[in-house]
Amino acid sequence: MDTLFIAVFEILSFGAIVVLVVLGLGIIASMMGIFNFAQGEFVLLGAYITYLVHSIGFPVALGMMVAPIAVGALGFMLEMVVVRRFYAAPIVAMLGTYALGLIIREAVRGLTGGLYLSVPEPIGGSITVGALHFATWRCVIVVITLLVIAASYALIAYTSFGLRIRASLENPSLARVSGISTSMIYSVTFAFGAALAGLAGALIVPVFSLFADLGIRFLIQGFVAVMVGGIGSFAGPVAGASVIGTFSAALPWLMSPVIADVLVFVLAIIFIKFRPQGLVSRRGV
Amino acid sequence: MSQLSSTRTGTRAAPSVIEASRTPTIGAPVSAEPGRVLPIIEMAVLIIAAVAPLTLQNYMTVYATRVLILCLFALSFDLVWGYAGILSLGQSLFFGMAGYGVALLSRDFHIASLFAVVPLGALIGLVAALLLAGFLLLGRHTSSVVFVSLGSMTGAYAADRLARGSYYLGGQNGIPSIQSMSIGSYTLNEGPGFYYLALIILIVVYLLSRFLLRSQFGLALAGLRENEQRIAFFGYKVQHLKAIIFAIGGAIAGIAGSLYAFHEGFVWTTILGVVMSTQVVLYVLFGGSGTLIGAVIGTAIVEGLSFWLSDNYRDIWPIILGLLLLLVILFRPLGLISLVLGERERVGTFRPSPKEIRDAAS
Repeated sequence: MDTLFIAVFEILSFGAIVVLVVLGLGIIASMMGIFNFAQGEFVLLGAYITYLVHSIGFPVALGMMVAPIAVGALGFMLEMVVVRRFYAAPIVAMLGTYALGLIIREAVRGLTGGLYLSVPEPIGGSITVGALHFATWRCVIVVITLLVIAASYALIAYTSFGLRIRASLENPSLARVSGISTSMIYSVTFAFGAALAGLAGALIVPVFSLFADLGIRFLIQGFVAVMVGGIGSFAGPVAGASVIGTFSAALPWLMSPVIADVLVFVLAIIFIKFRPQGLVSRRGV
Repeated sequence: MSQLSSTRTGTRAAPSVIEASRTPTIGAPVSAEPGRVLPIIEMAVLIIAAVAPLTLQNYMTVYATRVLILCLFALSFDLVWGYAGILSLGQSLFFGMAGYGVALLSRDFHIASLFAVVPLGALIGLVAALLLAGFLLLGRHTSSVVFVSLGSMTGAYAADRLARGSYYLGGQNGIPSIQSMSIGSYTLNEGPGFYYLALIILIVVYLLSRFLLRSQFGLALAGLRENEQRIAFFGYKVQHLKAIIFAIGGAIAGIAGSLYAFHEGFVWTTILGVVMSTQVVLYVLFGGSGTLIGAVIGTAIVEGLSFWLSDNYRDIWPIILGLLLLLVILFRPLGLISLVLGERERVGTFRPSPKEIRDAAS
């Protein structure tokens, strides 16, 4: 019984991490139609900034607040300079953002010297319920993930800014005629997606520690999750990420980790093959 | 519609030479136009490749051999992406599987004859690609490019992980100390011998690919890349065309993989995985997808630069590579080859050969 609770908690917290990583990717893919191959490296950058702030003597928590802002700003800039040119050609966008990711990844590899660097948890210890101990930081990640999902949903569904984002997605020329600067909206949306990735990286770095290939680990997972969930809606990527995260965390309890890791992706690809529109086929929010 | 009416009236008034050049006849090969740049580039590359071992030191020849094998690998990606528009991000799957296959052949059966190794590599690549294409490309729904790229990438990732975990395949360490390749009783070691073998195979594959692409099949492929729907409306079975070229690409990658395994003398999991797949994407984008020679030039330039720079600037070399790639994608989406090659020549001029025009005129 105790093992079951531990397993459920592990699955929940890992699922939360995947959702957090995928959310930014999903928003960019759904709202802008761009598959951002640099998303994993935005996660990495968020982790690196947290490490950097910590290493020069500031508290880790401060680093976690700075990371999304800094990565968001970088995303904004990159959109203006580079990504903007790719909207006409989504395939070229994949390759272009891959090149961007390569640059970021190798830069971080150079800066970290190719080492595994650890960052302490800002809130250590564990919560004890009866005879069970849950790592506090993992609980915090679950809570923050839920808050971020709620906040992102509210932003897109209920604010006038969210309305403009949806309008630009639905019918760009009509949006422009109505006085919405679609290019500005795209920049901000991309920056928002990047900031979410930065936040994800900052939050997970105490769990996974910092290394240059941190982002790649999540990239395939993220894309598969977005495809399983369905592109074009807010709920799709969240649903897909929950499913993929749950399976990725649950299967290793039942079989060897290597087989489990591969099986999740293979099952997901087969699912997408027979249901290309994904779990959530409805478009919009 | 206007095209149709002009050819109709053309049968009455216009000289038949013009007529022949306008209506695409079934089975007409794509002719070479006089004064083209492409054959000159191809000849220049061939001459450089042929004389290179005479001027290079031995260790450089070994490196150049590896580059030639990677050129072959790049050709396979260029065929599926540059000509058919299938973004295969798992091309290393076929490369690596063939490499592992021939490594096992050498380890367990002690067979290292060229005439067994290369056909086996091609066969493994062909079968693996056919199976993957059957799943990814065929079926009721037409697959999106993103799905195909993601699916093939997942394939490469899965193969990498499984090979890592497999005791039979040597796990993390791969399969070491593969014996030298033999041709009859002659043992082929690294150096000029292997270099020329790789060069001959590269030339043969290159010429076969060129022949294929200039046939009616290649024309249909080019149409597929430019406007898939229109080709489908013409009655071509688009998915079958894609599966065929994907399988051919797989076979070429398999040949490259089998040569690579014997040239390096060992195989390890990286050659199966995503790193190797993205490497080949870099080569082809760099040189110019959609031209066979572009893939070869791209491989040679990226590998050459990396050989030269990684000695002096080991840490920042990958960053430079990323920046260069980004610049090429932004400003030269057709690759470096487009600096000297016009769009018209890259796409090719599709019209009957001069002989057929003469026949039609007489």
